[in-house]
Amino acid sequence: MYRDVLLQAIRVCPLDGRDARLGTVDFTALLILAYFALLFVTLLWSSRVIQGPWLFFLRAFFPNWKFFHAVGHVPHVYVRGQAGGVWTDWHLVYPRVPRRWHHVFHNPAVNLALSHQNLVDHLASDLNALPDGADASQLATYRLVTRLAHQAIRGDTWGDTPMIAEPVPVVDHFQFELRMELPTTAHHELMLQSPVMAVWS
Amino acid sequence: MELHIATRVFLALLGWSLLLQTLEFFRLLHLDRVGSWAIQREEVPPRPAWVRGVLDHAVEGPGYVLVLCLRLGLALTLMAGWVHLASAGLLFASSVLLLFRWRGAFNGGSDFMTLVAVSGLLIAQGVGHFTGNADMGWRAGLWYVTVYVVSSYFVSGWVKLLRPEWRNGRAMTIFLDGGVYGPLSPNSVYRHPFVARCVSWTFTVWEGCFPLALWDVRIAWFMCAVAPVFHFLVYWYFGLNRFFWAWLVTYPAVLYCALGS
Repeated sequence: MYRDVLLQAIRVCPLDGRDARLGTVDFTALLILAYFALLFVTLLWSSRVIQGPWLFFLRAFFPNWKFFHAVGHVPHVYVRGQAGGVWTDWHLVYPRVPRRWHHVFHNPAVNLALSHQNLVDHLASDLNALPDGADASQLATYRLVTRLAHQAIRGDTWGDTPMIAEPVPVVDHFQFELRMELPTTAHHELMLQSPVMAVWS
Repeated sequence: MELHIATRVFLALLGWSLLLQTLEFFRLLHLDRVGSWAIQREEVPPRPAWVRGVLDHAVEGPGYVLVLCLRLGLALTLMAGWVHLASAGLLFASSVLLLFRWRGAFNGGSDFMTLVAVSGLLIAQGVGHFTGNADMGWRAGLWYVTVYVVSSYFVSGWVKLLRPEWRNGRAMTIFLDGGVYGPLSPNSVYRHPFVARCVSWTFTVWEGCFPLALWDVRIAWFMCAVAPVFHFLVYWYFGLNRFFWAWLVTYPAVLYCALGS
């Protein structure tokens, strides 16, 4: 029975065979046109963002395909370390990796670095959604970015490239900030400053 | 493009793309010292409880390595042109597990498009199996992939064309400066406003017009010939190598579904 229903459904749609497809070319073209017209209209309307834990993990099933579309504030992580009571400067943790020709085939370090920056974006988003007075340290993104800052100040790398461009001395404590920066300007807004934390092994 | 050629090339490219992705995941086992499943698992809803139980075994430790090995083997079989409903189902299941392992996506759009291709494969095998008509299954699967890939270009192009910073070329320079291989050199040609505006308009209009590929197979061939150049440039400046392969996988579907092919 299910097989009959499925066959019937496929018969009435324009996927049934090359000859049938040519016969229904006008109908197919009309459907395609209507679909893209509707898609275009959705781009003009700002719709409500639907959120939820399952949807977060399974968002790949509902891609919005809006890549690099808007210029705005970008969240950046800065970290500093303390050695013998003396603080280092704040250092930006941001992926800048030398290009290699073979990266088009195998590029794990760069992709990892990009996923870390993505994590920073998610922390900024989570902080925006956090109710007033809520404890940010309980967020998974906060704890993961803490690990990122820790690894960075400890001199960890993305492949062969240090997470922090400048050499950093061995430190015993560290602290990180999340800053919202506007490209092409020196202006930034401080979104979060972590407490001072001891380096762990 | 003939159906049997489209499906064969689709399988080979999908297998190749999955192979490259899986080899990167193997390397990441040693490179990633930030990710922590102990932290990440708390983001997974506690109900139903079995989900966390399954994930605890499948996305870390030996279970995760096993999932990657399985994916590697399935990628090789796809490249060899061998596929079955069960293997397509396993590939789909492993893709869902990877979504949880990497908090919904490891590499954004490339993960999304890979999932589209894997879903298309599962649809092709499922419809083919339950109707007893493999060709019909492949038509359904390839159309599914085509709708997604054409939509991806259409949305990506128009969402930029609707914004003034893309129309005047300023956005392109800003994003290129933020790229992983950036920033642009001070005397880069892309810093010239006229060049930036021309380049921005060229590729956003090309993206926005991608649905025309469905109108005529000759347009489809043109669009699919330009696309790898576009994705290579995206890789060249932003390091997004997976995007290059993930989108390449889908072009046999577009060429098959284009009217008049």
